[in-house]
Amino acid sequence: MTCPRCGSRVHSRKPNSIQRTWALVLAALVLYIPANVLPITTVISLGHIQSDTIISGVIYFILTGMWPIALIIFVASIFVPLLKLCILVFLLISVQCKSTWRPKDRARLYRITEIVGRWSMVDIFVVTILVALVNLGSLATIHAGPAAFYFSAVVVITMFAAMGFDPRLIWDVEVSEHE
Amino acid sequence: MNETQDSLPELNDLPTADIQTRHFPISIVWIVPIVAIIVGTWLVYKTVSEKGPTITIAFESAEGLEAGKTKIRFKDVDLGQVSAIDLSDDLAQVIVTADLVKSAEEFISANTRFWVVRARVAATGVSGLGTLFSGVYIALDPGEKGNPLRDFIGLSEPPIVTTDQRGSHFLLKASDRGSLEIGSPVYYRKIQVGQVVAHRLTEDGESVDIEVFIDAPYDQYVYENSRFWESSGFDITLDTEGVRLDTESLVSLAIGSVVFGLPPKTDPTRPAAKQTVFQLYKNMEEATRKTYEQKDSWLLHFHESVRGLMPGSPVEFYGIQIGQVTEIWLEAGEKKKEYRASVVIELEPDRAMQKKKRLAKPEERQQRIQHLIEKGLRARIDTGNLVTGQKLISLDFYPDAPPATLNQEGLYPEMPTTPSPMVNIGNKMSRIIARIEGMPLEQIVDDLKDAIQGAKEITRSPETMAAIHNLNASLAESRSLIADLRTQVSPEIEKTLRQAQLSLKAAEDILQSNSQLPVALKEALDEISSSAKSVRLLMDYLEQHPEAFLQGKGQEQ
Repeated sequence: MTCPRCGSRVHSRKPNSIQRTWALVLAALVLYIPANVLPITTVISLGHIQSDTIISGVIYFILTGMWPIALIIFVASIFVPLLKLCILVFLLISVQCKSTWRPKDRARLYRITEIVGRWSMVDIFVVTILVALVNLGSLATIHAGPAAFYFSAVVVITMFAAMGFDPRLIWDVEVSEHE
Repeated sequence: MNETQDSLPELNDLPTADIQTRHFPISIVWIVPIVAIIVGTWLVYKTVSEKGPTITIAFESAEGLEAGKTKIRFKDVDLGQVSAIDLSDDLAQVIVTADLVKSAEEFISANTRFWVVRARVAATGVSGLGTLFSGVYIALDPGEKGNPLRDFIGLSEPPIVTTDQRGSHFLLKASDRGSLEIGSPVYYRKIQVGQVVAHRLTEDGESVDIEVFIDAPYDQYVYENSRFWESSGFDITLDTEGVRLDTESLVSLAIGSVVFGLPPKTDPTRPAAKQTVFQLYKNMEEATRKTYEQKDSWLLHFHESVRGLMPGSPVEFYGIQIGQVTEIWLEAGEKKKEYRASVVIELEPDRAMQKKKRLAKPEERQQRIQHLIEKGLRARIDTGNLVTGQKLISLDFYPDAPPATLNQEGLYPEMPTTPSPMVNIGNKMSRIIARIEGMPLEQIVDDLKDAIQGAKEITRSPETMAAIHNLNASLAESRSLIADLRTQVSPEIEKTLRQAQLSLKAAEDILQSNSQLPVALKEALDEISSSAKSVRLLMDYLEQHPEAFLQGKGQEQ
């Protein structure tokens, strides 16, 4: 279909939505592994080098009794990205199977995914600020670890994946059944 | 939908949309997961390929070690990290599991040593201060190449010498460890050039092997004829020369030290090869003393106390040390009840003699001494140090000494001795005392006692008492007589005395007055004396001429 005015192509649904989303979801899943396995920060304090992954940071905060911070990091950096990926996978499978199961709730899930997605970047912001602030020479320095790159890639790719998904596909089955 | 199309009929003649079928059924977005997978695979490959050997090290304690944090370093380069810390099955040790980098695989062998670097304060110095802030780490010394091994036993102390240090190991044999510790410094000309690396008992338990490591440029000064001796830092020597204090350094005060050097007047030979075995002497004297080649043992017999004399006491000739005492024992003499002290001395003519005049053969030297003995050479015990009572053997000439000959019968040739001057004095004293002891002192005392007893008897006898009573009576009588005299006679005497006084006064007056009497008296006296002279003359004449009585004086012949 082409636009009669401008001649550009128009689509009734996002083209290749499912395929694209699948691709991005898979990419995000692959990158999610190094994002959690590799260290996200490296603290050099008085010659003592300590590398922390996301999960070890959470454990550190739990051990030191800072539950709220641990919770925030856990939710923002581990729970939310994983939840997003799971929701997307679920939506993709349900759409592909032409499921008619509670389309309204599934549409709501999609909207939550889209809104909550950007908050995962909190962790990256924290790391960025820490690296910029704590730069006291030999006394204490914080370096961003390789996981920061992978993690931000996960966040960005899941955001694109969520955007790539066309929620109207959820309803397409319903419509065709009604007709 | 149809209604809408109907209400807008003018749009019906619009060109219909051209529906194209997809040429590429696969979305280009698939590049993203492919890239992600490539990156992921690369990461996995990198991790796996960089993963080196996993080793376990057994330590006595895991103090300061943390799983996931403690590094394994060599020359301050990270070679790995501790991944787990567990207790051994018998709970005696801590098993540290560590992941090393790939490159470490090549040099980890059975010779590799591991130890924990901590801040250490020891007598030898302070080390590992950096670990106070950064935490402890495990250091490794690769060692020489050997069989691959993955399970190690960690050292409790850092090794003194690591493989990368250049230098030489030497082995010192000693009778005991002395005050040496592992890490005790080795000095050469008071410069620290090495350290004691190990000490262990030999298998037979008879001696101690001490291993020293001399750092690289200095190990060339260890010659084959070098001597090692122990310096305990604080060496007080009390001998005939007085008190001497030798110190090496403050460190060696605490943990002792080894010193090496060449004996005086010796030229260095070749540098010693690695692992050369040396004798470790107790002190410098001992180390340098042994350099005299010529040694002649002589036996001395003394009939006096040898207290203050001990093995090592000097033997002097004209005040110059030429040897030392080596043995002392007591020996029963030929006669019963007679003992004598046997002293073996070792004469080292090189000590005092010039090299030119030395005699190569022991027989020649013995002959020379025999000649000297004939001239009166005698050995004598002399006091070396009055304060400490140290004695020495002094050789000197005593031409008045009774003649003696060389006695060759004993274990060693015997040199005649002469009693020490103190013994001479002592002998005289003892003779005097013996004479005093020989006097019949008891008898004299008995006699005296008898005499005193007799006197006592006499005084206590009744006769004596009677005599005393009589004496008392007569004394009383004489007292009354004296009283009578005083009362009756004394006034008369007083009167007479007064009379005499008056007469004397008168006489004095007469003599002192300027009257004619004295002149006349003098004249009269002169007259008398002249007449007396003439009478004497007459008498002399008459004596010679008695006939003058008859014939008269006139007829002179």
